[in-house]
Amino acid sequence: MDPGERLRHSASRRFAEQIESMAQAVAQRVIDLVVESLDVNALLARIDLNALLARVDLNQVLGQVDLNQVLGQVDLDELMARVDINEIAGRIDIEALVKNTDLGALLASSSSTILTEAADLGRSHAVSMDDTIARWVSRLRRNHTGRPGPPELPNAQEKP
Amino acid sequence: MTGPADVSLPEPMPRDGGTPLSVPQDLQGDHAGFASRFIAFVVDCVLSIAVFELVLAASSFAASVLTGTSIHWNKGDLWVVLAFFAWEFVYYAYSWTASGKTPGMALLGVQVVGQDGSQVGTKRGLVRTLAFPLSFLLLGLGFLGILLGRDRRALHDVIADTAVVYAWDAREARLRSLARERSVRRPESPPVIGPHS
Repeated sequence: MDPGERLRHSASRRFAEQIESMAQAVAQRVIDLVVESLDVNALLARIDLNALLARVDLNQVLGQVDLNQVLGQVDLDELMARVDINEIAGRIDIEALVKNTDLGALLASSSSTILTEAADLGRSHAVSMDDTIARWVSRLRRNHTGRPGPPELPNAQEKP
Repeated sequence: MTGPADVSLPEPMPRDGGTPLSVPQDLQGDHAGFASRFIAFVVDCVLSIAVFELVLAASSFAASVLTGTSIHWNKGDLWVVLAFFAWEFVYYAYSWTASGKTPGMALLGVQVVGQDGSQVGTKRGLVRTLAFPLSFLLLGLGFLGILLGRDRRALHDVIADTAVVYAWDAREARLRSLARERSVRRPESPPVIGPHS
């Protein structure tokens, strides 16, 4: 290759690189200007999300998700450590839950026998009797020890 | 008692619609009262005497079969009395040392524990069994502590360093009661009235 042609090649390559970088800068600037002038909210408002979602086959999407893999990446120990089970349990009104759901019927049918019912009832009555007796005794003791005596006579010590 | 368990709910009614089952929310570990302990004692008396009588009758029958002569045990015999007291000792001592509760106590949901809440153990169980008659021998004055004492301890409890506490889960019982109420009050589905009915 003669020196003239080499020089031409080198010059054209440099020129092409400059043109390419200039085109990139122009394109970048144009994109920036377009994005800046774009009202994303207005654009989103024109999109019919329902129609868009209707075209999405969720089953197919979910079918492609490997739930085992997703769950495998979750650190359950760390997750559980951050959950205050006691607080959650404390918020549950178990009595209302039992009273208003079929869980109650389930409990009744599974764990309640006639013997259990009788024992519960007997114990409950015994506890009530305990409380009644304790109240009586407490009242008697209070009457016995707390009964006010006769009013002290003024200057009783001085009188013979 | 404090906490969310104190939320007042209407008292559940038993299946027969009688008196409401008023169960305290949480009384496990509280000192048991006089009535619970007395009823448990009565149950134990009936049970232990029934078993003794049964064994006596069975031994009498066995002896009559083996010897061919009818044998009738006189309850006034010294050895029968001794056997009765020995049986009572075994009944209470074994129950208290093994599990802290006799069958009657288990039925009433009360349990003997150490004064510090620990298990009774063999030594305290035996001491309690030996000291138990003392509360009777002092004209029943040994039981006054249950009525008057802050910790509801009888004389034999003080001697053996024990206490009697409620051991049954009242909260669980209350939930069972609520569940029963729910199952009883559950409305039945109305009959379907069709065009051809």
